[in-house]
Amino acid sequence: MENSIVKLRGYKDGLHLIINPKVSLPEIETAIHELLGEMNQPLAGTSIHIDMRPPIFTSEDLSNLETHLTEKYDLVVSGVNVFDEKNESPILAAPATHSISQSLAADNHPDLEHAQIVHQTIRSGQTTSCLAGSMIVYGDVNPGGEVVAAGDIIVLGTLRGNAHAGAHGRLTSVIIAMELVPLQLQIGTYVNRPPVGQKPRGYPEIARVGAEDIIIVEEFIKF
Amino acid sequence: MGKVIVITSGKGGVGKTTSTANLGTALAMIGKTVVVVDADVGLRNLDVVMGLESRVVYTSMDVIEKRCDLDKALVKDRRVEDLMLLAASQRNRKDDIKPEQMQEVCEKLKEEYDFVLVDSPAGIEQGFRNAAAGADEAIIITTPDVSAIRDADRIIGLLQHQGIDSINLIINRLSPTLVKKGNMISKNDVLDILNIDLLGVVPEDTGVIASTNRGVPLVHNDGSPGAEAYIRIARRMTGQRVPIPEMRDDNFFSNILNWFSRNK
Repeated sequence: MENSIVKLRGYKDGLHLIINPKVSLPEIETAIHELLGEMNQPLAGTSIHIDMRPPIFTSEDLSNLETHLTEKYDLVVSGVNVFDEKNESPILAAPATHSISQSLAADNHPDLEHAQIVHQTIRSGQTTSCLAGSMIVYGDVNPGGEVVAAGDIIVLGTLRGNAHAGAHGRLTSVIIAMELVPLQLQIGTYVNRPPVGQKPRGYPEIARVGAEDIIIVEEFIKF
Repeated sequence: MGKVIVITSGKGGVGKTTSTANLGTALAMIGKTVVVVDADVGLRNLDVVMGLESRVVYTSMDVIEKRCDLDKALVKDRRVEDLMLLAASQRNRKDDIKPEQMQEVCEKLKEEYDFVLVDSPAGIEQGFRNAAAGADEAIIITTPDVSAIRDADRIIGLLQHQGIDSINLIINRLSPTLVKKGNMISKNDVLDILNIDLLGVVPEDTGVIASTNRGVPLVHNDGSPGAEAYIRIARRMTGQRVPIPEMRDDNFFSNILNWFSRNK
């Protein structure tokens, strides 16, 4: 039963389709057909990650594969992860991978089709959400205020309240703020609470899910 | 046609009633016609702070339930020209009044007076909703501490939701000495969070306690720092351009206090 070309594994963040990239795309598609044909449960509508070792596909091949998975099996590809040669655990959203999954997801992922823009400060007790895409706030998010988005969250001001990106489980979502001093950050199911009494740093920061499944915060320079 | 301004804060004890009494008195001293309205039904205080408690016969409840005319319910403050008080009923509860009824009273008052200042109760429930119902503008009172600022932020959100665009801030009880020592949130930090226009800063002034207990608003005593701050704020409310002075903490008295606290 073990399929040497493709494997399906369940991780904390959902199903991962593990692909051997050394074979050609038609072979992979046949293998996927065999694998998914054996399944008793239909997987339609499920979100799935693609994991692979180097060599990485060209982005054209990857998007063909994504289209294939979407059209034939009705799967939602929520990210592409590349295994390190030495390290067996996937480096989620590692810098090299990050740009791939971002650009691919931007083409196909329903969570990124919309961006909602809010032209006001989100104050204590107010919640603003975009469950069909990303959220851009032209203002601050104050303590007690909350921003929720299926995709990314960008605050063009100071984020002092709560932010929940990737609300449907998309772990490649990021939270960016001009000043990031939140009460709590959440990406997918991961929660991060900065140290008490943290002062604004004076430069934009980005929060994303890094290796070892924790939310990391670092200076935001560019995508 | 005047305007109705609700004075509110969310948190209790930050100086809504004191500010209403002082701003009302200061505006009347400048020559405006003013009514101060107590919206804190069941826990009225404004009449006490203004020293008019013994003269209250009718309340806003009597006006709403048509037991007396609006003019008859207004108590005149004899110390200044054109300053009136509309007291709240002490026997009723906040949900005995509906926002529309309060709005109607405010509409009538602003036809005849330049300023209608509504003293809101603490909280965000019915009492606050009643107080804000007829307001054209709002003044938020906050003290420089996190809980008051958090509540002020919440209130600003609610007022904006209600469609009140002109919301100004008064920072009350600021102590420059404590700010300098890093033990109090500074004016700029408060403004950074709340992000609304600053109408004025009232310094910590121990004279407030005595003036409240005597029922004589601070602005009747010339020269106290709190009184001067309220008079400057009142002048700004009438459209005058009065700069907000930076506070000094290098006076003799605070230096002595510092010296004692350092040597404890």
